[in-house]
Formats: sequence, C-alpha cells, structure tokens
Amino acid sequence: MKLPVARGAQVKAYARRLVLRYPGPLARTVALHALATASGLTVPWLFAQLVADPGRRIDAVAAAIAAFVVLQALLTRAAFAASAALGERVLADLREEFVARALRLPLSTVERAGTGDLLARSSRDVDLLEEAVRDAVPQVLVSAVTVLFTGVALALTAPPLLLPVLAVVPLLWLSTRWYLRRALRGYLTEEERFAQLLDGFTETVTGARTVAALGREEQRARAADDAIRASWTAEKYTLGLRQRWYPVLELSYALPVVGTLLFGGFLYLDGHASLAQVTAATLYVQQLGYPLSVLLMRLDEFQLGAASLARLLGVADVPPDRSPTGAEPSDARLSAREVRYAYADRDVLHGVDLDLRPGETLAVVGPSGAGKSTLGRLLAGIDGPRAGRVTLGEVPLTDLPLDTLRHRIALVTQEHHVFRTTLRENLTLVRDAPDEELRAALDVVGWAGPGLDEVVGSGGHTLSPAQAQQVALARLVLADPHTLVLDEATSLLDPGAARALERSLGAVLRGRTVVAIAHRLHTAHDADRVAVVEDGRVTELGTHDELVARGGSYADLWSTWTR
Amino acid sequence: MRELPIDDPGEPPEGGPWRFLAWMAARHAPALAAVTVWSLCGMVAQALMPAALGRAIDEGVTAREGGELLRWAAVLLGLGVLLAVARLLEHRASVAAWLGVAYRTVQLVARQAGRLGDTLARRISAGEVLAVGTNDVTRIGDLSEVAGRAVGSALSIVVVTVVLLGIDVRLGLVLLVGVPLVLALSGPLLAPIHRRQSERRDLTGTMTATASDIVAGLRVLRGIGGEELFERRFRAESQRVRGAGTRAGRAESWLNAAALLFPGLLLTLVTWMGARYAASGQITVGQLVTCYGYAAFLVTPLWVLGEAASALTKGHVAARRVSHVLGMTPDHPGAGTLPPTGGELADEGSGLRVRPGVLTAVVAGPEAGPLADRITGYTDDGGVCYGGVPLPELAGLRRRVLLTTNEDTLFTGPLAAELLPGDDAARRAAAVRAACAEDVVAEAGGLDRGRVAEAGREFSGGQRQRLRLARALAAEPEVLVLVEPTSAVDAHTEARIAGRLAAHRAGRTTVVFTSSPLVLAEADHVVHVRGGKVVAEGGHTELLAEAPDYRAAVTRGRE
Repeated sequence: MKLPVARGAQVKAYARRLVLRYPGPLARTVALHALATASGLTVPWLFAQLVADPGRRIDAVAAAIAAFVVLQALLTRAAFAASAALGERVLADLREEFVARALRLPLSTVERAGTGDLLARSSRDVDLLEEAVRDAVPQVLVSAVTVLFTGVALALTAPPLLLPVLAVVPLLWLSTRWYLRRALRGYLTEEERFAQLLDGFTETVTGARTVAALGREEQRARAADDAIRASWTAEKYTLGLRQRWYPVLELSYALPVVGTLLFGGFLYLDGHASLAQVTAATLYVQQLGYPLSVLLMRLDEFQLGAASLARLLGVADVPPDRSPTGAEPSDARLSAREVRYAYADRDVLHGVDLDLRPGETLAVVGPSGAGKSTLGRLLAGIDGPRAGRVTLGEVPLTDLPLDTLRHRIALVTQEHHVFRTTLRENLTLVRDAPDEELRAALDVVGWAGPGLDEVVGSGGHTLSPAQAQQVALARLVLADPHTLVLDEATSLLDPGAARALERSLGAVLRGRTVVAIAHRLHTAHDADRVAVVEDGRVTELGTHDELVARGGSYADLWSTWTR
Repeated sequence: MRELPIDDPGEPPEGGPWRFLAWMAARHAPALAAVTVWSLCGMVAQALMPAALGRAIDEGVTAREGGELLRWAAVLLGLGVLLAVARLLEHRASVAAWLGVAYRTVQLVARQAGRLGDTLARRISAGEVLAVGTNDVTRIGDLSEVAGRAVGSALSIVVVTVVLLGIDVRLGLVLLVGVPLVLALSGPLLAPIHRRQSERRDLTGTMTATASDIVAGLRVLRGIGGEELFERRFRAESQRVRGAGTRAGRAESWLNAAALLFPGLLLTLVTWMGARYAASGQITVGQLVTCYGYAAFLVTPLWVLGEAASALTKGHVAARRVSHVLGMTPDHPGAGTLPPTGGELADEGSGLRVRPGVLTAVVAGPEAGPLADRITGYTDDGGVCYGGVPLPELAGLRRRVLLTTNEDTLFTGPLAAELLPGDDAARRAAAVRAACAEDVVAEAGGLDRGRVAEAGREFSGGQRQRLRLARALAAEPEVLVLVEPTSAVDAHTEARIAGRLAAHRAGRTTVVFTSSPLVLAEADHVVHVRGGKVVAEGGHTELLAEAPDYRAAVTRGRE
C-alpha cells in the first residue's frame, strides 16, 4: 500500500509558509546577495570608464575596481553564510515536521503499509530536498539577482540597447516551458530507476553468500544489467530533452550579444551613443548569459524538490482511522460479534463470534492463512471490522482514543524492532520507570543479554531475533495493559525457552486477559481455552481437554504433535 | 553514443585505486577524450569572444568601419554557435562517461560479489558494503565526469595565457604567475571545508539512521508508545546537523568569496596595467577590452579545477574501496578438482555421519548454526569429507552441497525466477508444494506474474521461511542442509511440510537441523549433538524411549 502524495496547491502553500517563517534572516540574505551582486556589477562599469577615456585617472579607477572586488568578496561571504544558516534552519524544520507527521500516522496504516514507502520518503526525498535547498536555492537566488541588476544596469547605461535582449525573451520562454512540461516526469523516472539499480545492487552485495550458495551469480549479473538498461533508457530520454533545449538556450545568450554590438555600433556610427555606452552595454549583455543559464537549468531541480516535498507532506494526508466518541468502556470485557474482514474484496473472516472472559488465556490455533492474525489485529483494535463489532466494555474499539486503547490492549507480533539506542531507552519508550523496575521486567522475560546502558540495535550490540522478542515482551510487562494479544510472540525462541518465558510472563500477567496466537501447541495446552480458527471461522472452542476428547481437528493436531 | 550496458565489464587490474581508475579511464577513453576536446573547444570559444568583441570595437566602432563591424559581429556569432555545439557535445559525452563508469562499477562489483560469496561479508563491514552501493558508484561517476572538463579547463588557461603573451608579454607573464598563485592561495581553504563537510556528513548519517530506525520501528512506537521520546531524539540530532550544516556553509562561503576575490584581483591588475599601456599607446583600446575579457574568463576554468580537486579526493576514497573489493579472492575458491567417491558426508570433529539418500534430522540446539556451517564448508577447520574427499579439495562443492538458513537473502524480482531460474515450471511448482508455500505464492500474484518486492519484507517471517525452503528444494542439490526450516510456521503447516519434505527429497541426501517433533518423526535417522559431539543416534521413537537427554530436548506437549 502506498501513502498519499500532497497536491500541488498544498505544496505551494507549505513552501510559502516555510519561506516566510523567518522574514528577518530571509530579508538579510536577499539584501546581502543583492549588495554583493551590485558591487560586482560596478567592475565592468568602471572598466568602461577606462575604455571611454583611457587617459583619465587610471590609478584611481583601478583602485576603485580593486575596492569593489574586495567588497563583493566580503559581501558574498556574508551572503552565503547567511543563506546557509537560513537554509539549514528551513531544512531542519522540514525533516522534523516530516518525522513528527510520520509519528502520527494512523495505527492501521502503519501496520498495513509496510515500511518501504515511508523509508524511501524519509531518506531519498529528504536527501533530494537537502540538495535542492543547499545548492539550487542559493545559486538561483544569486543568479536571479544578477540577471535583474544587470538588466537594470543595462537599461540605465543605454535604454535602446535593451531591445536585442528583449527580442529573445519569447524564444527562451517558449523553449523553457516546452522543456519543463516534460522534465519532471522524466527526472522522476530517472531517479526511481537509478534508485532501483542501486537497491538491487546492494541486495546482491549484502546477499553475496546466498548468491554464491545457490549459484545465482549469472542471474544477479543479468538482473544488474537489466536494471542498468532500464536506467539507461530513462537517462536517454532526459538527455534527449536537454539536447533539444540547451542549444536554444545557448543561442539565446549569443544572439543578444551580437545584436547589441551591431545595434550599439551603428547607433555610435550615427552619433546616437557613446563608445563607453556601447562597450558597457555589450559587456553587460555578455555577462547575462551565465547567470541566466544557471537560473533556467536549476528550474528542473525545483520541480524535483517540489515532487519530494509533495511526498513528504502527503504523509499528513492519511485520514484518521478512529474517531473517538468519548464513550468509556464499562468494564474489561472484550468481545467480537459477527465479525467480517476483507482484504481486497475477499472476506478472510466470515462472521466470527468470540467472548473473552476477563483474566483468561485463550490460545488461537489453526493453519496459516486461516485468519488468525487478522482476528488478532481486530481484537487489539488496530483495524475495525468490515461488518460486525469488536467491543471493549460495550464500546467499539475504534471509538476509543489511541492512548486509551493502548493502555488497555497491546499487540505483540513476531515482527520486532530494536531501536538503535540503549537497552534502557528501548524499554522506557513505554513509560519512564526506575532501573529496578526495568530490571524486574527483564527478569520476567529471562533476559541474559547486555546491560541497560549498552547500545543495541543495528550498529550497536546486535541482538539475536530471540533477544529482540524478549525486549518486546519486557516492554509489554512495563506497559501492563489488561488485555494482551500475542501473535506468535515467542516463535523465535527455542521451544524450551519459549515455554519458560510464557510461564514467567503468565505469573506477572496474572489476572490479565491474554489472546495467544501460536503454532506451538504447548501454548494451547497451557491456556484456559483454545479456539481453532479454520478458513475464517472459529470451528472449535473449549479447553484443551475438551477439544482433545472431542476428537476434531485439534485432537488430530495434538496427536501429531506429541507422537 | 554506445548503448549501455556493455556485455562484459572486463577484468580490472589489481594494485590499488590509481590503477583501477586508470584502467577505468582507458575503458572509457573515447567519451573522456570527447569531454576534454569539447570542453576545451567551448572554453576557447568563450575566451575568444572578448577578443572578437575587442576587434569589433577597435576596427568597427572606433574606426567607424561598418563593414568591419559586421565582419567581427559575424565572427562573434560564429563563436556563439561553436560554443553551443561544443557545450552540447560535451554534455552528451560527459553523460556517457558518468553513466558508463558508474554502470561498469556496478557490473564489476555485482559479479565479484557472486564470486566472493560469504567471503565478502567476512572481509569488510556491512556499513562499507552499503557504502559501495550508496556512495561509491556515484562518486566514481562524478570523478570521471569532472576529469575531462578539468583537462579541458587547464588547456584553455594555457591557450589564453599564450594569446595574452602575444598581445603583450608583460600581461601574459602576469597570468603565468598569477594563475598558479590563485590556485595555491585557494588550496588551503579546501582542507577546513572538507573537514566541515565530513562532520556534516557523519552527523547526517547518524540522523538518517535514526529516521530509518523510527520508520522501521513505527509499529512498535504507534502500538505501545514512545513517539515523544523518539521525536525529541530526532529533533536533537536534526539540530546537531543544522549546526554542522551552518558551519560547513560558513566554511564554503569563504571559498565562494575566494573564488571571486583572487581572480578579481588578478583581473584588476591586468586591467590596470592594460589601461596604462593603452594610455601610453602600447596597446589599443580593443586590445585592452580583450585583455579584460580574458582575465574575466579565467574565473570559469579556475572554478572547474577547484571542483575537480574535491571530486578527486572523494573519488579516490571510493575507488580505494571498490578496488579493494575487486581485488579480494574467495577464502574457499571452490577450486577443488576431486570428484566424490560415494555420498557420505562425514565430520570427524563431531562424529556426525550423514548417510547418503536419506533424511537425517540433527537436534543440536544452539549449536545448529555453527555445525551446519562446518559440515557445508563455510568454516575451514578441516576434518569434513564428502564421498571421502575433504571439502576444500572437492570439485564443485557449492553445486553439490546447499546450506539454507533463516538468514538467507530473498531477492527483489519476479517470484518464479527467484525460486528457480529457467523454465522448468513443473520442478518449481513441485518445490512450492513441498514447502507448503502455495498460499504465499498465490498472495504474491502467482508463479506467472508474482513478484518479490523489497527483498521479501512484505511477507511475514513464516512466509519468507517457506519461500526460502521452496527455493532450496527447487535447486535439487545432491546434499541439502536446512537449519530450522519450520521455526516460524504453525503446527498444521509444519506437519504438512515435514511430510512433503521427506517425500520430495526421497532418495536424496538431506540434513535438517530442527527441534520439532513433527519433523523429527518424519526423519529416517535422528542424531543428537551436544557439546560438539554426537551423543545419541537412531530413530525418533527409539531415542524418545531410550535417551532421556534427547527426550528433554525435543518433548513439547507433556511435562
């Protein structure tokens, strides 16, 4: 499932707010760039004075040129430092707001969407925007100011000599519009294909052992070649666009220089302009070329930046998955009535009824794909059912605010995550607790791993899958909800350890309601009741002994298990 | 332009990053030469424009010669067209060079990774392996792109200096001394910039890792709490990056200033001298304009040279890592030549003997992983023979003996090819059935159209496990060694897999490290290993009855 992407208008509104958030620093940055450009532009003007009257105070003019060069350098230094400070501030806001938005994503979206899309947004799109803000924005700013001032200087020097420049504006305008209309899609494809190329390449390199074990060297080499071919096709497309656009641009810079020279030259010959005017104007027009090309060629980076921004902002567009009504559960009774749930129009639960007795442990067993995990998610209030109701004390779970819900019901699955931080922080994320309490929680899960101050997770002390599972369960002990849904929560531990852990958990969680989805039947054996889920229905429900005595599918399974 | 990718990336020489880069440059010589030539043409055209302008003003405007003015305007236009053409061709060639070099690097390293197999992960850290994919490929591409332009720029500086020497020796000499001086003066600024940039890069790396960590653990955070804690953490790291970024920006701003100041002062000097010579009639006004134009032009090639210096530093680091990977040789070259003379896999150290043609289950608890690595030749302590031949001397070890663990990578791509390359659909379908992965395959879109997305992250642990099993079964190796192949599936499925696995591998040698009674019950022979030694072997039922240690290790249901 893909997360939404923000609309153009939203992106524009956000960018505007972002730019205007720091009016002081923004004004200072623009002013410094403007002053730096202005002092740079006095150089050709002063030079033109020398050309017009070579005998006149050469030393003084040269000294003035040197002074303006120094001034321009100093102002440029200040301008770039100011724009870096401002840019970094804006970037920090952007990424912090993105992470804050991601941290507020609806629970059901997080559980279902997978992390790939969000991961790509948090790394690739943030990177792209950083590049745009760090390189493109200051350059465009400098270029725009230069173009503007050069134009003004030109107009002040010799107004009629603006004509050759204005003549090429329509040409520039039309060709740029033609290019930009096609560029965005082309560059997005190009970026995506190149990212795919590098992703596949990284898989080959990190999975080298598997490649060699299965003798897939040739297949992986071919996969790399195919990804290269795809990337190459996309690169050729955008290259083709540039090949048509760039020559028009280049000629748009060259033609006005020639035009100004000729026009100015003949005006001089007719006595309508001075030599200084013609020289200065021609130099100005020549100087327009470079900043103008920077300005135009960076426009597509703005488009790309806007596309990235749209993906970052889109995260906030996921509609909320629950609408708290303010109703308070009357007790801790969890029950499901006539519950149906569908993935892509196909029902996976066909009317499940289940009443949990407060304090009991209910084991849910059944074949893969029978709907056990789906049922677990509904019972934990992650998703709402398509039809029917899942209620806690008569209140539908999706009517409860998230905070209330998760203090009462917790879900632990076999997908664990250990954060790259100390073991302590991996636990206190549930709630702040003194070390003794943290150690007690670790004792419950039979912890024999690193200490609380040790940094764990990728890059730190690597925990085994079994230890990660123990951390997840220790978190649960700290959270202390009255109802727990454990979906294969101990499947990665070796059978002996899993059983010991479940027992000590059981001691701590005495009085708590537990739904344990498990494939190891000792869990069912130890539970108060067992529910067998087959093909989206609860087909058997009772104590272990009752079900074994009944001789149904549970009894079959049990005999296989223990033979 | 040559179509990419090329079929064979070739064999790079050993001997470090410079040799690698030189070899790479030689492979892409046409594109690199084209970049050099066209960038030189473009720069010279650009440099000659002021000269043409000067002549136009001298011989056309000042001399009041309309014809001359037209002639020099035409020259100017011609230069403009030449510049446009040169820039276009340079751009084409530099795209070809960048992509050609980057693609070839990918091809070389991807092929080498396959050759190295498990050796790669043992020799360099996971972070460095990742850096090859995320950084090095683009850095080497960047270097190749800028190299051609740098040569063109250096040549254009030479051309301009020579032309200026022709106008006036003294002005030429000023450039001859001034340009190296400018480069020398700007050089010392680069070190602090690189230091600041690397500080920013390191902090950004940490911050990106935190962001990925938050995203990867989002279900935990949303499910059980801790959003505020991690938001605060991220903000703190983001603000550190902001600080480092601001400092890096400040360091870079000095370079921006220097890039204007030094060439600007050189320009002032040339202008001042030129103006004096013009005043005393030693050169014409037009020549003065020309000198000014040349000196002003120099900013561009000097800038390119600065850029090249920094691309070279980064590209060299990247090339060092890539050439290091390319220079590695596998620990187990698989160069054995002896064919096996039987089918028994025997480990002297533990006393484990795997009989040919039957399903052997090994109960080894936490020792399973290391023992499996050992008997399949991934660790070389010696003492393991297949068909009487020690594993290092065995011909085609990896083709004969396949080890499958739960850490094996699933690769993104079409599902069918991932399970078994080629078009033996029946063999593939049989393996899927034996691994009870029909539902996984159906969910992914079937064998015809299904895909593995994001390296299988969209599948659950149990689903990934069954796909790995199906893939191993489809390979049909002489000896298949499986480590805990059913640890993440439910009992019903586990029972079915155990039965189908035994049937599918009937008559072939199979070793399963497991503690599941469902699997053990299907095995022809069961071995119990403890403390690195075989402590009991026989049938499952037999061992249950006779070996109390074994019973304790595998019994699940009853006390």
